Amino acid sequence: MPSFLNRRAMRRPKRMRRSKLAYLWYGLAALLLFVSTSANAIPAYARQTGAACADCHAGAYGAGANGPGLTPYGMRFKLNGYTDTDGNGVKIPVAGQLVGTRAVPAQGQSTTELSEADLYLAGRVTDQIGGYVKIQTDNVGNNKYTTQLSDVDLRFVAKDLKLGNKEATFGVTVNNNPGFQDPVAALPAASQDGPPTVSGSLLNPSSSNTLSHRVIGASVYGLYDSDWYGEIGTYTSMPTSVQDHLGYSIGGDPGKLSDTGYFSFAYMKDLKSQFFSAGVVALTTKRQLPRTGPNEDLTDLGYDLTYQYLGNRDNIVQLAYFNILEQRRYASVPVSPSIPGLTAGERGIVHDQTASVSYTFKQSYGVTFAHMASTGTHDVVRFVPYGDPDTISNSFSVFWTPFGKDDSWTTIANIKIAATWFRFTKFNGSVTNVFGVPLGAPITNARDLDEFLLSASAAF
Amino acid sequence: MIELALRQSMRCLVVAGVLFGWMVTSSTASAGDASAGSSVFKTECSECHSVKEGRNKKGPSLFGVVGRAAGTIPDYSYSDALKQAHWVWTADKLHSYLSQPAKQANPGTKMKYSGLTDPKQLDDLISYLSTIH
Repeated sequence: MPSFLNRRAMRRPKRMRRSKLAYLWYGLAALLLFVSTSANAIPAYARQTGAACADCHAGAYGAGANGPGLTPYGMRFKLNGYTDTDGNGVKIPVAGQLVGTRAVPAQGQSTTELSEADLYLAGRVTDQIGGYVKIQTDNVGNNKYTTQLSDVDLRFVAKDLKLGNKEATFGVTVNNNPGFQDPVAALPAASQDGPPTVSGSLLNPSSSNTLSHRVIGASVYGLYDSDWYGEIGTYTSMPTSVQDHLGYSIGGDPGKLSDTGYFSFAYMKDLKSQFFSAGVVALTTKRQLPRTGPNEDLTDLGYDLTYQYLGNRDNIVQLAYFNILEQRRYASVPVSPSIPGLTAGERGIVHDQTASVSYTFKQSYGVTFAHMASTGTHDVVRFVPYGDPDTISNSFSVFWTPFGKDDSWTTIANIKIAATWFRFTKFNGSVTNVFGVPLGAPITNARDLDEFLLSASAAF
Repeated sequence: MIELALRQSMRCLVVAGVLFGWMVTSSTASAGDASAGSSVFKTECSECHSVKEGRNKKGPSLFGVVGRAAGTIPDYSYSDALKQAHWVWTADKLHSYLSQPAKQANPGTKMKYSGLTDPKQLDDLISYLSTIH
């Protein structure tokens, strides 16, 4: 799910002549950014259920720049395999979205363009089978567009079961983005606020060679007594030819994965006017990158906490925090090209964290703030030039969405006007000269990566 | 002739029952605060029910629910359990139904609701629903 900065990076080749190294890194940084203003409320679901967008989302179009902002009702809809219905006939499970964006980067030219067009195949097939599929077309500049298969989450679910005297739900999800299936939408693949990074974790879609959209996996999950959630599954990377056909460059291949396991466990409590959850997650794999190379061992261990004050839905506050620690045993131990006798560490740790807070008034006006940090073990050989991958950033977003509520003129289509400011305080381990270019070359400071975005979205 | 007269009498009884239920509802409902009940409705009910006439969500529209015979909105697919319930949603019936888990109040119902145990909120909610006509 490329961001606006991602698309900006794609349009950058002319400027690379000025400082190839700097802009390579700059382009990489932008590619790694994942914060998106894409739609989360899918009108096809509203048509299917008779519900308003705002029943499932704190803001009637999702919660601004930081993910879907699911309410407990939205979480249950997802857990029920997107199959809930008003029982009134068959609805066509198709929706669309158009996004226009004015992007104002701290450095470089501003642009105003139709930035994104999406097709959603989303809804129920039977009472037990449903799904979410997003096909995304991005404007990459010069009137060129790329189309990619974005998030996929296909589900089979057995509902209204009894386990002992308690209610239980069991299901299977087939998806292409580890964490996207998270019912609370607290993990970065679902919350869309994985920290920008130069060396992030497997569960962070902002990482280079991300698993996001380039793998396919299946999990079985269960919900017991409405409160206890557990999931176990596995993933494998798609062949590079398939990735290519789905719109992704082979250069971003996540490599060959083996012995891959995904585990998730959470306690969630819906108190109607409040909600809280606490979850743990693990993702472990052996990876060959490149595919003919040696194995590296990667294990992500994380936890997430959320709290929502919902009240009578006029004033909604949502707090979320995730913390993912990745343990690495690298496939190789490179030698420093500049310091004789110095080698890289055999093992390392990276750490991705995001804390966010959102306030939504009358399900129409919202403000969201997120603080994001990606840090790692000091390693002078692996993380040039400063030896630290640390990247600290935050986003501040305001939005207005007039429709999609129970008393709206329409509940099955929606628009959103949003303004988002991305700000970097540190990038690649430094506040200044983040790419370590020599004296005389153009310097890029962390703040030069800031960007302001104004967007208008329509979903129908 | 006798059969026809009996049928007419039965219809009159049903209509009288509905009217009586509505009247009882109105008097009971006055115990609650309809304005506060609107907030309770948004918190407890609005995800699955609309108060707009003809608008069904996962649950049926609650427009005019007080005094309505259960399971009678024509374009909503009720559970067999509610279709066979043969009761009228009077204030007392709503009070009893909503104060306990729905599966307990009407075994076999599709409705998933754990019940509203706060008596004031329940009175307020029923008061509010009584205004939706």
